[in-house]
Amino acid sequence: MITCKQVTKCFGDVTALSPFDLNLIKGEFVVIKGASGSGKTTLLLALGGMLRPTEGEIKYKGDNLYQLSPSELGNYRSNEIGFVFQMFHLVPYLNVEENVQLAIPNDNQRNQSHRLLDQFGLSKRLTHTPSELSAGERQRVALARALVNQPEIILADEPTGNLDPENDQQVFKHLSDYHKKGGTVVVVTHGSTADEFADKIVSLKAGQ
Amino acid sequence: MNPLALIFKEITHRKANALLSLLAITIAVALVVIFFSVSQGTQREQAKILSDMNASTDGISQSTQKKTKRIQRDMGQNLRIVSEETDLAHFWDEGFSKVTFPEDWLQQFTNVTKQINYSHLSAILKWKIDWRGSPAMVYGLAPREVAPPGREKPIMITPVKRGTIQLGKTLSEIHKVKRDDVVKVENGKFQVDRVLAEKGSGAEIRIYMHLADAQSVLNREGLINEIQALDCYCADESQDTLTLLREQLAPILPKAKVFRMQDMAEAREQQRRLMEAQLGEAMPKVINDAIESQTSNLEKTFTKMLPVMVFLCGLSVAALAMLNTRDRRQEIGIFRALGHGGLHIAMLFLGKAVAIGIAGAIIGYIIGGYITLNFGQELFALTKAQLKWEPSLLIEALWLAPAFAALATFIPAMLAVVQDPADTLRHD
Repeated sequence: MITCKQVTKCFGDVTALSPFDLNLIKGEFVVIKGASGSGKTTLLLALGGMLRPTEGEIKYKGDNLYQLSPSELGNYRSNEIGFVFQMFHLVPYLNVEENVQLAIPNDNQRNQSHRLLDQFGLSKRLTHTPSELSAGERQRVALARALVNQPEIILADEPTGNLDPENDQQVFKHLSDYHKKGGTVVVVTHGSTADEFADKIVSLKAGQ
Repeated sequence: MNPLALIFKEITHRKANALLSLLAITIAVALVVIFFSVSQGTQREQAKILSDMNASTDGISQSTQKKTKRIQRDMGQNLRIVSEETDLAHFWDEGFSKVTFPEDWLQQFTNVTKQINYSHLSAILKWKIDWRGSPAMVYGLAPREVAPPGREKPIMITPVKRGTIQLGKTLSEIHKVKRDDVVKVENGKFQVDRVLAEKGSGAEIRIYMHLADAQSVLNREGLINEIQALDCYCADESQDTLTLLREQLAPILPKAKVFRMQDMAEAREQQRRLMEAQLGEAMPKVINDAIESQTSNLEKTFTKMLPVMVFLCGLSVAALAMLNTRDRRQEIGIFRALGHGGLHIAMLFLGKAVAIGIAGAIIGYIIGGYITLNFGQELFALTKAQLKWEPSLLIEALWLAPAFAALATFIPAMLAVVQDPADTLRHD
């Protein structure tokens, strides 16, 4: 589904990601582990079409991601990918429902957002803004936003890094549910909760 | 999600930034509205002043011309036409010609076909006599004036009724004659209709009477010895008026000679020219100079201040938009991660600028109009009637202010568009 070939990313003199190969198969649950600065987030952003590699290529269903036009790349991120970040990155002036609907290109999927928010136990929080939510709730909103378009792949960067163990479990349970329905999940983490769900664990050491 | 809803939610979320931007736009619009309202008010004021002054000048001009004419009429005619056979030494010594000519010579002036500079022509028979032992001048005056074609005007002379006389002051005092007395002049009896006021001239010993009475008492029926007239104003100052008058008289009365009482004529002309110069050029120039000075001062003040103020307002809007872009770095990153394109991001920033521009246009127009209407009188020395709401300025502000705000926000918006989302998201 996604193939990385000799992907390298340098920021000036610093090599964030050394030549790296990865073959991601549809329906896999992949956990990428590594210490801070090992290039986990860099790899995730590169897979999401957000960070052009310095060298190497990333192909999605046969197409080189970084040879796509800006609008095709936008469509890839909008339709094929769902991002989940450690800091949630919810838009502060939008309420729960609106934050999820940000990812919907048309109103046809409104029901999908309501269903997801209900499933994630947020149906009573629809009109609340992020500042009125707990960290766990915020991450569940972010997860709902990532899933609402029913993307092919979820790219999650330390999704439970700011959560307590209970919420940690909940988030991975939702990711697992998505995976069980055929979704592909790539999780960057240095925790161990994800291990039990993983089909494949990739360890990064200083960008390798 | 509807971009408009996103824009308004962001505005209400970051109120301080939006309010400061709104304030900058409002100030810029208000200043422009004040400038143009005052400028248009000034133009109306000046038009009114000019119109009032023109009306006033016309009034003064008409009144002055009337008074001038009256003064000149009182001065009397300044042209004397006598027979060419007149003994001029006697004429200038005694004040009359002993050579008479037919009264109907005067009618020649009614048949002229060319433009001539004669008007108020009157037939006169005057003769020096001995009256009650002292010299007196019988002064027979035709009751009507003759005017060349196109020069008909109200008569200047004061006609004397038949059977009556008007006496010079000195004569009346010497002979102790007063009004309504009946006196004998040569072989005729006349009632004194009026004793003239002291003139300090030959008029002191004149006995004014109807021309026909004078012809009768002097046994010169149908004869006169002088035609008096007034020369019309000669527009060309460089022209020799007397030469012109003589050239014009020759074909009309070949046997006559014209003299011009130069001092009187020149005084008359000078007065006329002076009056026309004052009313026609000097006063309007003074008014125009005053108006131009007022406009110039106003424009100088505004043309220096306005661009600086508008530039500062634009700079403020740009700085605030830059801060807003920095504040929204992560938000822009997440929009990008969700697949939103550069156009969408630019629209969020420029749309916000346009929305604030529209609000600033309306508020700025209201504030600018309010200041102009309520303080314009004191600040710009204009009359209240000339200061009014200018709806055309609102229409202009409604497209210029959003364009101005969008222009000021353009660079920050472009920075937001080209911002690398990964850079933000990677460092969270």
